[in-house]
Amino acid sequence: MAAETNQPDQWASRILASAQPLLAAAARPTVTIDAPMDSDVEALQEGLERIRELLASPSSDMNHDLLNLIGAIRGYAEMLYEDIALLHPALKETLPAVLSAVDSTQVTLEMPTSDDSPPRKTEAPGVILAVDDMPENRELISRLLSRAGHTVISAESGEEALELLETRGMDVVLLDLMMPGIGGAEVLRRMKEHDGLRATPVIMISGRQDMDQIIACIQSGADDYLLKPFNPVLLQARISAGIERKRWHDREEDYRHQLERNERFIRQTFGRYLSDDIVSQLLEAPEGLELGGDLREVTIMMSDICGFTSLAEHLPPPQVVALLNRYFEQMTGIIFDHEGTIDEFLGDAILAVFGAPKRQQNDPERAVRCALAMREAMTTVNAANKAAGLPELQHRIALNTGSVIAGNIGSEQRAKYGCVGHAMNVTSRIEGHTETDEILISDATRQALPEDIFELGEPRELIVKGIDDHILAYPVLGLRS
Amino acid sequence: MTGSEPTILLVEDNEVNRDMLVRRLQRAGHKVATAGDGEAALTAMREQQPAVVLMDMNLPVKDGWTACREAQHDASIAEIPIIALTAHAMEEDKHRALEAGCSDYATKPVDFPDLLTKIAAQLDAHH
Repeated sequence: MAAETNQPDQWASRILASAQPLLAAAARPTVTIDAPMDSDVEALQEGLERIRELLASPSSDMNHDLLNLIGAIRGYAEMLYEDIALLHPALKETLPAVLSAVDSTQVTLEMPTSDDSPPRKTEAPGVILAVDDMPENRELISRLLSRAGHTVISAESGEEALELLETRGMDVVLLDLMMPGIGGAEVLRRMKEHDGLRATPVIMISGRQDMDQIIACIQSGADDYLLKPFNPVLLQARISAGIERKRWHDREEDYRHQLERNERFIRQTFGRYLSDDIVSQLLEAPEGLELGGDLREVTIMMSDICGFTSLAEHLPPPQVVALLNRYFEQMTGIIFDHEGTIDEFLGDAILAVFGAPKRQQNDPERAVRCALAMREAMTTVNAANKAAGLPELQHRIALNTGSVIAGNIGSEQRAKYGCVGHAMNVTSRIEGHTETDEILISDATRQALPEDIFELGEPRELIVKGIDDHILAYPVLGLRS
Repeated sequence: MTGSEPTILLVEDNEVNRDMLVRRLQRAGHKVATAGDGEAALTAMREQQPAVVLMDMNLPVKDGWTACREAQHDASIAEIPIIALTAHAMEEDKHRALEAGCSDYATKPVDFPDLLTKIAAQLDAHH
């Protein structure tokens, strides 16, 4: 069968044989058309399908002979039509009916011929712009792609294509390279310069001899290419791939916009107060973040430089700023290293929280480790101060653990992420009772710490103004070895 | 031009197709001469000075491309417009034909009314 079907002559003669009844009917003065036999129709369909396959293959010798034959048959048929119409004017009306009967036979070719060859309806139909100056190419593309369920819009020139692209979104553009006027390469260039069109996949169409220009087009952003004459299967495959690319791009674009919005918001809200690590963590899991203001347990840290106010009065302002900046720079780094959130700098004081906006299991422990690291860092800070001829500093740190309301606090014009609540005030009071170089933690913090990590001193009972209870506080001596 | 009506030279190697086209052109009122290959086409152009040449590009002995290029370099026939007849959807042919010096092209199978329009346009342009 395979060897036999490769003979175009055989198919042509079968077509001729199949067409005989129609031609014979047309030649009779009175036209009565018998319904064509099923076997004739089948043979005709098979023959036309085979011829179409042959035409799609680039073997030009075979095509040339076949084309001549088909062309001649068509030419004679058209002359026959002219003759008949001339001899029998009445037939002028009925003959088109015969021809349309032939056409409709061809139309049935576009439909499934049997169950094992269902129409290749694509799962993702798209809108395709087909740009070609040759009407037969536009017609062929349109027919092939419409059958697969795509919407095909044709343009016969680069100018028309660019106009159409302005008016509506396309999923894929099939672009003929060689066209009079604005050619394919120029249309491609303009699309790539256009923000809204840059992402639309472009498949170049050309003849084999224009490979150099095709390569140039791929380099300047074309996604794919097809050589003429088309292989229908390849055309479908490339179109589907193009549509898929477009869909992915659209989804990616939506997602990226959403992420950008989130990221902008989060960075604006937290950038100044959080380490990059935490901001990045938040960005990776933004859904874990509630900014509306929520009640949560945090460990609060307050530190200040002992006697800084009087120290500042005796120093020239640039030295005060230098002292503070060196100190804050060191301390900020340590707090960020321990994943704390700096709520505020107040003069020489630092207010930081552990557990907001991101809660972690070991918030109290990290806070105490942070305080110890800060105390240790004072050696470095003071060595630098001494070298610069500046006075040495001493500070103190208070820690408390309790519930606060964390959220964006402020007016519409100026809001920042912060914490408010009773626990904040208690921390401030404890700090008031903290000695120079001391780290003092509340009993609440002590209870939240894992045992046996830190060496604590004897508890002190603090009586604080405005707070009913007495507060028990423990000095942290260091890490238990 | 010598004759009263212009001659069209049809260069086509396929006998059936040539016969069909000759008949149709004659019915449309044209005087038609024929040649079966590129070499014969050049000879006929020189001897008969046709008003228009319809040239199939896939020809034996000397193909249409070569014949067109040679015609361009022969002052006695360089001005005769040539309409290339090229295979359907063979994009290469369309551009090669224009490059080879053809004035126009038509694809096969020929759309006859369209071909007549193209012939008329060439006749107008050269008279």
